[in-house]
Amino acid sequence: MRRPGFNPFGSLSLRARIIAAFTTGIIVIAALVAMSAVALTRSNLLDQREHTAQIRVRTNGALMADSLEGVDLNDVDAQSLMGSFSASGKPSALLFDPTSRGPARSISLDPRFGTSVLPEALVRAVIDREQPSLMRFSSRGQVLLAAGVPLGGHRGGYFEIVDLDDIADTIRKLTFRLLLATIAASVPGALLGAWSSRRVLRPLAEVSQVAETIALGRFDARLADAGWADDPDLGRFVHSFNSMADAVSDRIERDARFASDVSHELRSPLMTFNASLEVLRNARDEMPERAQLALDLLSEDMERFTQLVEDLLEISRFDAGAVRLDLGAVLLVETIRMATRSLSGESITVDAAADVDDLVILVDKRRLMRILANFIDNARKYAGGTTRIEVTTVPASSQEAAGDDEVLHEDADHRDRVRIVVEDSGPGVPEELRKRIFERFSRGVQGGSRSSATGVGLGLALAAEHARLHGGDVWVEPRTDGVSGARFVVELPVVEPDNEEHGETLVEVTT
Amino acid sequence: MGTRILTVEDDERIRTAVKLALEDEGWEVTEAVNGEEAIAFFARDPADVVLIDIMLPGLDGFEVCRAIRRMADVPIVMVTARADTHDVVAGLEAGADDYLTKPFVPKELSARIRALLRRVRGTEVPGAVNRMRFGDLEISPAEGTVTRAGTPIHLTKTEFRLLVELAANAGRVFSREALLEQVWGHDYFGDGRLVDVHIRRLRTKVEADPADPRHVVTVRGLGYKLQG
Repeated sequence: MRRPGFNPFGSLSLRARIIAAFTTGIIVIAALVAMSAVALTRSNLLDQREHTAQIRVRTNGALMADSLEGVDLNDVDAQSLMGSFSASGKPSALLFDPTSRGPARSISLDPRFGTSVLPEALVRAVIDREQPSLMRFSSRGQVLLAAGVPLGGHRGGYFEIVDLDDIADTIRKLTFRLLLATIAASVPGALLGAWSSRRVLRPLAEVSQVAETIALGRFDARLADAGWADDPDLGRFVHSFNSMADAVSDRIERDARFASDVSHELRSPLMTFNASLEVLRNARDEMPERAQLALDLLSEDMERFTQLVEDLLEISRFDAGAVRLDLGAVLLVETIRMATRSLSGESITVDAAADVDDLVILVDKRRLMRILANFIDNARKYAGGTTRIEVTTVPASSQEAAGDDEVLHEDADHRDRVRIVVEDSGPGVPEELRKRIFERFSRGVQGGSRSSATGVGLGLALAAEHARLHGGDVWVEPRTDGVSGARFVVELPVVEPDNEEHGETLVEVTT
Repeated sequence: MGTRILTVEDDERIRTAVKLALEDEGWEVTEAVNGEEAIAFFARDPADVVLIDIMLPGLDGFEVCRAIRRMADVPIVMVTARADTHDVVAGLEAGADDYLTKPFVPKELSARIRALLRRVRGTEVPGAVNRMRFGDLEISPAEGTVTRAGTPIHLTKTEFRLLVELAANAGRVFSREALLEQVWGHDYFGDGRLVDVHIRRLRTKVEADPADPRHVVTVRGLGYKLQG
């Protein structure tokens, strides 16, 4: 396991890391090549220069030895002795009188490069040991090469000094140019990096695209056998990704089929129950009192049980991902007015802002009605009934962050939203329960009651699912007017109908 | 003789329970256990109302519905497992007048049947006069006939009732909910698809070009209206 923080590129994206690695690699290689090129050139130039110097010194040394035959050393001057030498170096000589063994006489054409400049070691090697020698040295900031040959018969030595500054200059220029070339190499390096990162990342991009498609509910999406699938490593990856997708979609299909089978299996006996129960209810008056009581209990719980089965089946469809929105144009406020009347049996005040009054939105009416029914039902059970319903719109710009609730519709964030609030004057919902109340089977949280009137809490959880399917949300908040009570809110994006027949429009959305 | 309902249902227990409950409501009930039997039975002895379960072995509910619709103009109620499936629209397209989801309460079914029969037996539509003209369309509510450019058009009772309802207040916009209430006798939780499918079917009969309706027009987001 790699620990984070050990990788210097750790904070960069994979793409940036690949590009950086390529660029660095290319720069290192270019630098190595440049360095060896410089070293090679330098040693070549020096070798050549040394070789030439050696040959010339030998030739000139021999010439000098000849011209010294029978000459009085005291009479020689540099010009007559060396003027005829073809010496590109600076010639100089240390001459001894072999007869007198006196001090050496130094002669040179250029006084700046006289024998005094020569290194001691070279002079000793040539004069004392009579060895032709070569030495590189520097004097007064100049790089110089000195070559010397003995003149034979202990008459002294002949030397030439060659200026190597031009070589140093050449090397400097070469180094500078190669440095520029190295820097320039980083550009194709980066490009190469970008190109290979695209090649490397393309499979990943395709994988994530397919994964997103699957997540959106197209369970048949698979990684196509792209060119990169032939790669032994990636091929295996494609295969395992596809089999994973197969397994997942099989599983979902199985779940959906199971839900549908269970649905059928449960509905059939329920149908018989309900019909038979009605026959019994029709004959209620002919029954003994005890049987009537039992029948009433049965009737009541059959209603609850039927609702519970409906809710369970509905929620299992959500879980199986087999849910679709059936959108239709709805005259919102009017629909809410009529719906609350038939839901509560009495007229509940519906306060709608003027701009909402004739608002028509695209919504799954059945699901909206289920949300309202659950809210009103909840208020009836726990808070003595709904006191009023409020409908307002929230402009897209003034929305507070929707929190951690996922928004299914991509553009739902940019739309105006409509809020429907079901208000009661009950005890309200304590803060710690406001989220939990929308979870499944969170029964009796309101008022802590677990009486027979307390239904099993799937209704609010379903309301939340219905709202989210629309890209909306539900929540509960305390009343703001100082009166005790809860406000159950459903907020939906305002989607206006844009073409004619919306009655049949089926928009498939999968959770 | 009472009103006779033919129930087509393969589950014997459901069939029996529904029969008992419907008989309590005063209907006369005959049973068929599958589609073939139902069609044969209906051909021999037509019922006044047909109740068809969509999930039938062999010939499915849609086929039975189409077959019976070809034979007669009786009200047909489909029974589906769920309201949010294509089954509902498919059933209505096959010619059903209304639908219910399992498990339904037989009293609800009785109410639906009564509403359908009222329609069939031509209860007066308030505001409807003897003869109404809308361009080339002529409607005679009392006689139950419609002609387009002089040619008689055959409409089912539900289609006819829908047309007359729109015609009685021509130019007025009817919401789906209002039409559900007035034509089908549903409450506000009725399914708007019922209206949409019937409007579509109506258009194929009364419009010269159903894709570009001139008479039965959609009012964006609000509903439908009839115009000349």
